[in-house]
Amino acid sequence: MVIDLKRCIGCYGCQLSCKAEHGTPPGVFFARLLKQEEGHYPTVRQLFLPVLCFHCDEPACVEVCPTGASSKAPDGIVDIDPDECVGCRACMMACPYSQRYFLDEERHYFPGNGATPYEQARSERHPSGVVMKCNFCRHRISVGKEPACVANCPAVARHFGDLDDPTSTVSRLIKERGGYTLHPELGTGPAVYYLPA
Amino acid sequence: MEAVPPISGIGTGRDDCWIPSACSLCYGTCSILAHRVDGVLVKLEGNPESAAGKGRLCGKGVSGLMTHYDPNRVRVPLRRTNPKKGMGVDPGWKEISWEEALDEVARRLKKLRGEDPRKLFIQRTTTVTSSRTPIQVFAAAFGTPNRSSAGGGLHCGNGAHLISGIMHASWSVVPDFQYCNYAVYFGASKGHSAGHASCSNMGLAAEARARGMKMVVVDPMCNFAAAKATEWVPIRVGTDAALALAMGNVMVNELGIYDAPYLRAKTNAPYLIGPDKLYARDPESGKPLVWDLGAAAPRPYDAVSSEAMALEGEFPVNGVLCRPAFELLKNHLKNFTPEWAERITTIPAADVHRLGSEFAREARVGSTIVIDGVTVPYRPVAAIAFRGSQGHVNSVYNFLAVDLLNQLVGSADMAGGCLGFNPACHGYPETGRPYFVPKAGPDGLMITGIWMAHHNPYPIGEPRMPEQIGLQDLFVLCQTSPFSDSSDREEMWDKLDLPYRPEILLNYGTNSLMSIGNKETVAGALAQFKFVISIDLFLTESSDFADIVLPDCDYLESLDSRPNFPFIFNLPGGLGEWCWPIKQPAIQPDGEQRRSSDILVELADRIGMREDLNAAFNVVLKLEGPFRLEGERKYSYEEVCDAELKNNFGAQHGLEWFKKNGVIKWPKKPEEVYWRHFVDTRVPIYWEFLPVLREKIAALAEPRGIKIPQRYYEPLPDWIPCPAHVTNGAFDLYAFYYRDIIHTNSFTMENPWLDEAARLDPYSYTIAINAGTGRKKGLVDGEEIWVETDAGRRVKGKVHLTEAVHPEGVGIAACAGHWGEGMPIAKGKGVFFNDLLEVDYDHASPVNLNLDLCVKVKVSKARGVGR
Repeated sequence: MVIDLKRCIGCYGCQLSCKAEHGTPPGVFFARLLKQEEGHYPTVRQLFLPVLCFHCDEPACVEVCPTGASSKAPDGIVDIDPDECVGCRACMMACPYSQRYFLDEERHYFPGNGATPYEQARSERHPSGVVMKCNFCRHRISVGKEPACVANCPAVARHFGDLDDPTSTVSRLIKERGGYTLHPELGTGPAVYYLPA
Repeated sequence: MEAVPPISGIGTGRDDCWIPSACSLCYGTCSILAHRVDGVLVKLEGNPESAAGKGRLCGKGVSGLMTHYDPNRVRVPLRRTNPKKGMGVDPGWKEISWEEALDEVARRLKKLRGEDPRKLFIQRTTTVTSSRTPIQVFAAAFGTPNRSSAGGGLHCGNGAHLISGIMHASWSVVPDFQYCNYAVYFGASKGHSAGHASCSNMGLAAEARARGMKMVVVDPMCNFAAAKATEWVPIRVGTDAALALAMGNVMVNELGIYDAPYLRAKTNAPYLIGPDKLYARDPESGKPLVWDLGAAAPRPYDAVSSEAMALEGEFPVNGVLCRPAFELLKNHLKNFTPEWAERITTIPAADVHRLGSEFAREARVGSTIVIDGVTVPYRPVAAIAFRGSQGHVNSVYNFLAVDLLNQLVGSADMAGGCLGFNPACHGYPETGRPYFVPKAGPDGLMITGIWMAHHNPYPIGEPRMPEQIGLQDLFVLCQTSPFSDSSDREEMWDKLDLPYRPEILLNYGTNSLMSIGNKETVAGALAQFKFVISIDLFLTESSDFADIVLPDCDYLESLDSRPNFPFIFNLPGGLGEWCWPIKQPAIQPDGEQRRSSDILVELADRIGMREDLNAAFNVVLKLEGPFRLEGERKYSYEEVCDAELKNNFGAQHGLEWFKKNGVIKWPKKPEEVYWRHFVDTRVPIYWEFLPVLREKIAALAEPRGIKIPQRYYEPLPDWIPCPAHVTNGAFDLYAFYYRDIIHTNSFTMENPWLDEAARLDPYSYTIAINAGTGRKKGLVDGEEIWVETDAGRRVKGKVHLTEAVHPEGVGIAACAGHWGEGMPIAKGKGVFFNDLLEVDYDHASPVNLNLDLCVKVKVSKARGVGR
C-alpha cells in the first residue's frame, strides 16, 4: 500500500471507513490517523499520518507468536487466526508500530444499552480474548475490490497493489515520488509506503 | 444496478441489497449506497455513479449507522407535563399517541393561522438539506414569513451567500480546481473539511494540489486547509478585508495589472459616478451612463460597445464632473498600503506585497484556453472566502474585498478562476429542465438564475417597516437574522412597531440553544413562545423547551426527490456531470418515528390548508402541465416527489425509476460552467446601491432610535474593526471557532465513532492557544482553563498549546459542549464556544445582520477558581 501524504487531508475517512467495513469495537482501530505539528510559529506544518498494520516482510509479531496464530501468507498479508490465538499478547509487545489490539471483553458503543442491531450483525467477527488487526481487507481483495480505506479515501490518497511488480502503480509511485517506510532501521521491511507531503 | 428489494421483503432470507440514497450527516448530501442484510443496515458507502461524492464519503458519512442505531433516539411522541420551562428544568415527558399529538398541534396551528399566521416561527437545521423545501412550502402555505435556519445562516451565510449571490449568482464560491494554479483562501476550508459539496471538493482539491496548484491559506489557525497549504498566512482574527484591500492596491496601483476588457464588459466599472456617489443617469431612460471614448460623450451603458467605455478619467455630464467607478475604486485602494495592512493584520508588509504580486501575475490576464472545443478566458487564480472572514460586523466588506481580487483580474467564473457553484444549467437534454441562467436586471446588474432564500440578492429589496420578526424586510440584505433570539429583540420589535409577537415555534431539528449564541439569551427567547413543537431525532438542550416532541425519521428512513438541488448549494462546481440523485428509505423505523415531510403534509390537511400547500409546491418545484398538483386533492409527499421528478425528467423517470437507479446525470458544458463569458450581464465592483439603501433604512429606523451607521454603507469596501478589536485591558486574546473535519454543527458529537475520533484528535475537544502565548501565561498543555469575555461569559475546557495558531488567537472547534441528558455520548464533550457570543444589534453587521463571531477574551487556570 502507498499513502500519499500530499493528498491526505486528515479527514479520518480511513479510520472511520475501516470501522464501517469491519465494525470494530470501541478502542480498536485497524486504521488510524495521527496528527503531529512540526516547526515553530509561524513556520509550522501539520503532518497527518494515517497508519495501519504495515504487513512487514520480517514481521516481528509472527516471530514471537507461540501458537502460529499470526502468520504471513504467500501474498504478503500478515493475518491472525482467532481460533489459534490464545491472547498472550506477545505480538503486541513485539510490533514496533503498535498496530495490534486485544479485546479483553465484549464492548459496545452505547454503554449500558448492549449491542445495537448493527453491532449484533458485526460482532461475530470480533471475538473477545484474542488479538486483532488489519488484514488489508482480505475479504474484499479476494473478490477484486480494494481495501475499504483505499476505496473510500475522499482525497484519493491511498493506492493498493503489488509491490513485487515493478510496473504496478504502487511501485511506480514509490519510485517517482521517493516513497519511504516508517522506521526502516528496525529492519522489519514494512509493505506500507508513504509519499512525501 | 439490480432492482432494490422492497423493505417489506425483509425476513425472507433473501434480503441483501445496496440501496442508492443520500447522506445527511452534513448538508453536503453526498450520494450513498446503503447495504441492508436481513433487515439490518450493515454498511454505508459512497455511490460511484454520482458526482456528489463520486463513490467516496468523509469520516462523518461512513459513520451514519452509529447515528441511525443510536438507542437514545426519540421513538414516540412526547408531551411535557411540567408547565415550567427553563434550562435544566425537567419537562416531565409523557408518551402520547400520534393522534393526540397531531390533533393538538393542528388545533393550535389552525387557531393561530386564523388569528395571524405571522405568529408562527419555523426554524430548521441546516444539516438536513432535504428539509428545506417541505418547510419552505409549509411556511408559505401557512402564511408566515418567519423562517430561520437558526445559527446556520446567521453564522456562515449572510455575507458569504449574499455576496456570492450578487457577484457569482451562487450560494458559495470555490476555486476552479481543474484549472486553477493559485488559490488564496480567506477563512475558508473548501476541499478540506465540511461544507458545500464537501466530499467532492476533497478529491478535487487534492488533485489540484497534486497537479501543482499553489494554495495560500489566510487563517488564524493552521488546521485543515492551512495544514495542506503551500503557504499558511497567519492573520489577526477578523482583519481579512485589510489584507485583501492592500493586495488589490498592489495589483492595481503598483503593478497596473487588471483585466480592463473584463471590467468594461462584465462589471459596472465604467459606470460614471457623480460627486453624490451615485450613478450619473440618462435623463430619459434612467439608465447609468458610461463615457463613450469614440463619441467623447456620455451614453447609457447598453448603447455603447464595451471596448469604447472609459475606465479612467473625469468627464462632464450635464455640467457635473463624473468619474468611472473603476477610477474611484483605484483611488480608494491607495488608502490601503501593505504597511497599513501589516498594522491591522500582523502580516508583514513584504508578504502582503508579495501575495498581491503573485495573485496578479498568476492571473495571466488576457490569456484564453480551449476546453472541449470552446474558447474561454483563462484566469487560473481564485480568491475565496467563507465563514471565518465574513463572520464579523464588517461582514459585507470583508467578503466583498476578497471577491474584488477576482473581479479585478477577471477570474470570476472564468476557466481556472473563482467559480460560483453551478449558477447556470441548461437542463437535462431530453427535457431542457431544470433551466436557470443568470441574467441582467436593473442597471444592467446580474440577477441570479436560481436562489435559495427569501428573496434574490439582487435587485435589492425595498426596505419597509418590518413584518418579519427577524426584521429582514427592513434590513433587506439580511437572510438569517439574530432578532428572533437576540437579547434586544423586544426592544427592536417595540421600536419598529412590529404589529404582533411570535407565539408558536415549529422547530425542525435545530438545537438553537447551542447554535446561535450564549445560551441565556436564546433560552429567554425560547421560553417566551406560548407553544413549541419540536421534530427531533434526539432530545436536545433546546427540545427541553418544547411542549410536544414529534419523533423524526432519520435520513436512512426518509424520502426526498431533490437532496442535491438547487445545484448552487451542494453539487460540485466546475466541469464534470450534472447529477440529480434522490434520497429513499433504506429501512423502516424501529419505533413510531415518522418522516418530517409526511408530518408537515398531514398537519396541512388537519389545519385545512391543502389547497395552499399544493399551490406552494407548484411554485417552489416549478411543476407544470400534467404534473401540477390540483386544487385540494390530497397527495402524499411521495406523490409530490414523483411529480417533481417526472416534471423535470419526463414521465418515464418518476420516483420508481429513481428508486431503482438512484441518480440521473448528464455532462456539463463549458458554456454552463464558464457562463459568465457567454452571458451579457454585469456585477457591481462599486456598490452604488448601498448608500441609497442606507438612506431608506435610516429614514425608517433612525427616528425610532436605531442608528444605521453610514460607514458600513459606502459603495467601496473598507476595513472596520469588530467590537473585539477595541483594546480592552486584560482581555488580550481573540477567541474564534472553526469547523471541525469530523463534526457537523452540534449534532454529530452524539455519534460514538465520531466522538471517539474527536477524543483522539489533539484539537477537536480542546482550546488551542499559541504555545508561546501559553508559556507567558504560565499555562500547561492539557490543563483546564477558563475563557472569559468582558461581558462575564465564560467557558471551560482543556488547553492545547500549539505552534499552529496566531499568538493572539484562541481556537475552539465546532459547536460542542452539550450538557443535556438526551445525547449522552455528546454530553460534556468539547467546548461550547457560542456561549461566549453576545446576540444583539451591537454585535451584528448593521448591513446584513451577520453575527460577529470573534470575541475578546482573557484566559486563566481553572484549578481552584471554578464555580
